[in-house]
Amino acid sequence: MCATQRKTKTAGHSATAEHQHIHRLANGLTLLADKVPNVRSAAMSFMIPAGAALDPATALGSANVLSDWILRGAGTRNSRELSDYLDGLGVQRGAGAETIFIRFGASMLGRNLAAVLPVYADIVQRPQLPESGFGPARDLAMQQLDAIEDEPAQKLSILLKSRHFPDPLGRPTVGLREHLQALTADQLRADFQTRFTPQGAILTVAGDCDFAQVTDLVEKHFGGWHNAPRHPTAEKPAPRGALHITQQTNQVQIGLAIDSVPESDAQSILIKMAVGVLSGGMGARLFSEIREKQGLCYSVHAGYQSSKEQAAILGYAGTGPDRAQRTLDSFMVEIQRLSKGVTSEEMERARIGMKSRTIMRGESPAARAGALAHDFYHYGRPRTLDELRSLIEGVELADLNRYLAANPFGPITLVTIGPNALKVPA
Amino acid sequence: MISFKHVTLPNGLDVIAEVNPQAQSTALGFMVKTGARDEVPEVAGVSHFLEHMMFKGTPRRSAADVNREFDAMGASNNAFTSNEVTCYWAHVLPEFLPRALDLLADMMRPALRTEDFNMEKKVILEEIALYLDRPTHVLFEAIMADYFAGHSLGQSVLGSRESITALAQPQMRKYFDSHYGPGNMVLAVAGNVDFDQLVGLMQAAAASWQHLDIRRDYTVPRPQPRRRHIVDAKLKRHYMALMCPGPSSQDKDRHASHVLADVIGDHEGSRLYWALVEPGLADEADFSFYPLDRTGSFFAYASCDPARRDQVEEVLLAEIKKVIKDGVTEAEITRSKNKIETAGVLHGELPLGRMRSICARWTYHHEYRPLEAELAELEAVSGADIKEVLRQYPCSPVTMTTLGPE
Repeated sequence: MCATQRKTKTAGHSATAEHQHIHRLANGLTLLADKVPNVRSAAMSFMIPAGAALDPATALGSANVLSDWILRGAGTRNSRELSDYLDGLGVQRGAGAETIFIRFGASMLGRNLAAVLPVYADIVQRPQLPESGFGPARDLAMQQLDAIEDEPAQKLSILLKSRHFPDPLGRPTVGLREHLQALTADQLRADFQTRFTPQGAILTVAGDCDFAQVTDLVEKHFGGWHNAPRHPTAEKPAPRGALHITQQTNQVQIGLAIDSVPESDAQSILIKMAVGVLSGGMGARLFSEIREKQGLCYSVHAGYQSSKEQAAILGYAGTGPDRAQRTLDSFMVEIQRLSKGVTSEEMERARIGMKSRTIMRGESPAARAGALAHDFYHYGRPRTLDELRSLIEGVELADLNRYLAANPFGPITLVTIGPNALKVPA
Repeated sequence: MISFKHVTLPNGLDVIAEVNPQAQSTALGFMVKTGARDEVPEVAGVSHFLEHMMFKGTPRRSAADVNREFDAMGASNNAFTSNEVTCYWAHVLPEFLPRALDLLADMMRPALRTEDFNMEKKVILEEIALYLDRPTHVLFEAIMADYFAGHSLGQSVLGSRESITALAQPQMRKYFDSHYGPGNMVLAVAGNVDFDQLVGLMQAAAASWQHLDIRRDYTVPRPQPRRRHIVDAKLKRHYMALMCPGPSSQDKDRHASHVLADVIGDHEGSRLYWALVEPGLADEADFSFYPLDRTGSFFAYASCDPARRDQVEEVLLAEIKKVIKDGVTEAEITRSKNKIETAGVLHGELPLGRMRSICARWTYHHEYRPLEAELAELEAVSGADIKEVLRQYPCSPVTMTTLGPE
């Protein structure tokens, strides 16, 4: 089952496939490893398909509470022993619930990897889920809901997601207050039993690591993990359209979403290039037209985001109430103008930006772990730097402009937060 | 092999580089030793506004040229302004270093055109509005003003709507002319770089830069015990911040102070974490060391449900008092050191991280230390060093500023 990809090493940037290693366990867990030369650190990203999409319809926020509770003791270590042990190894770590995955991230010195991986094996297979830790974990999730109310930009992105994407993809991972209030420890413990499964889980290690050692460790500590996968609830359509929340903010928050093609679609590289022209740097259209030429915003940008099934271009701007309409209108002009095509200079700037980011990301173990997991999730395999480079270099201006002309962006889903509603563009 | 290089140009500009031929990229940055503390109140916010204006073009480049050129190199670039420094940086592939230096060096002698100034003023006012919608920022600015009351370190980096609206281009020009002398800045480069070529290019670019005699005002701040509560009925959460004196950036106790602050209030596994976050009393609680140029402080922060504010404040203060009275354990010190070491290694493996480190060290200490030596300084911190910090800085006087709905 173990297949190390082999490829001729090219001169210069040395992150070719011979640094990468993929190993599938019989239980469905995939190990991806990437050896980064000249570093002492190692980054781990562990993604388990147990995210908010699996929350029972009457218990939204379960994954969020679980991602805290699960760290409060595992195997033979209680909450404090677990934390002290990882701190003693100097592990920087995080955990959180996303839509599809619950993700554990950790950065450490490579020499500590062998001591750290078994701890995460305990966490996902043998969490203590103590009664005493449930109340605080649930309480913190409810406090998070209030904290979001105090941060309008964060509130906007949650509202936009649930307006644009169908449930469960669009559901807020933070959950709903009334559901959290009603959630019990027994209920969540039972949920956990059928939620965490190795099937579809991805464990990525990048940096100072030894393939044989990591493979043995993962086989030893995760090989006996068995649980049947559970599937998300059926989709409910997204509300779409426009939503305004009246709130006395200093800036009007403007968020918009437009359907796009998913990452695995061959056309997604064209979309990314177009989004690069729109918002890839300070010379890109949104920054240049809305901030530099009109002084309407401090923050204005757009990005491409994709899950396996669905993708969108998400746009953001924050501006004063008296300038919000003009900002939104200008934003729409720029989106619509893309269908008229981009210039060769614009595309070359977007292209070199994508290439540089790809190469520079290769220097950071944490970024590499993220990229490897991303590729595996979307493409079912890691992609090499050479492959990415030729993909980026292969985009022709004529193809891009033809695509943009044939596929104008729209319609938009719009969410605004501020003192007054805006006129929704046609 | 990593090596360090340094030259001082005749006009006083220091050029430093940590050369790593194996690196895939190069980071470069100009750090200017000027920030909000170097402003008189009439021009509050000028350092930060100027930072924006430096991207607005030079005698030979328009604002659009500057932006387009960074993009055409695929650069990751930005700038930031603090109370004490302003830094302009770019992260590029090694082949673009000469172009990136040409651009950044040219930017260091900006045109400051009035029409650009008037347009960018609108952007600055939007940035101020953006931060007014973030309670943590509002609280931070408020406690800095309270703690450093009457001292320029208490001034807001962004300035206020009023000060920015009133600011005129000639005031900015005057501030630039008196603070951006070559002797008041350093060019730092880390990663894959040909140092001799770099120096040659920099020399040519800075040939006309005139040396200036610039001195920072080092009036010692005199914090007093203070307490203030700000009401904002819109808020859902209660936010609290505390400041008290600590060692400065130059103080030999700074490493011990860093370790101590992490034991008390790292976001995970610290005293405040177990006392406040783990039991769910506060969703955030931290304690950090905040060193500045020849002064310094410790800083604590927590946010909680408004109904729990008294309880959270009581626990926060009790935890700090307990450390001052009983100290910390060897096990806690070791854990903190290990965590800080990991952070140092992670940061140090990236050219951008190293550039920032060597740049700051040069600005504050006029010296270079390789990453291994920096980590060794940390490793050398002992329990006795921490006791000494606690003896000298027993969290007094305390400034406490809070923000909440009632």
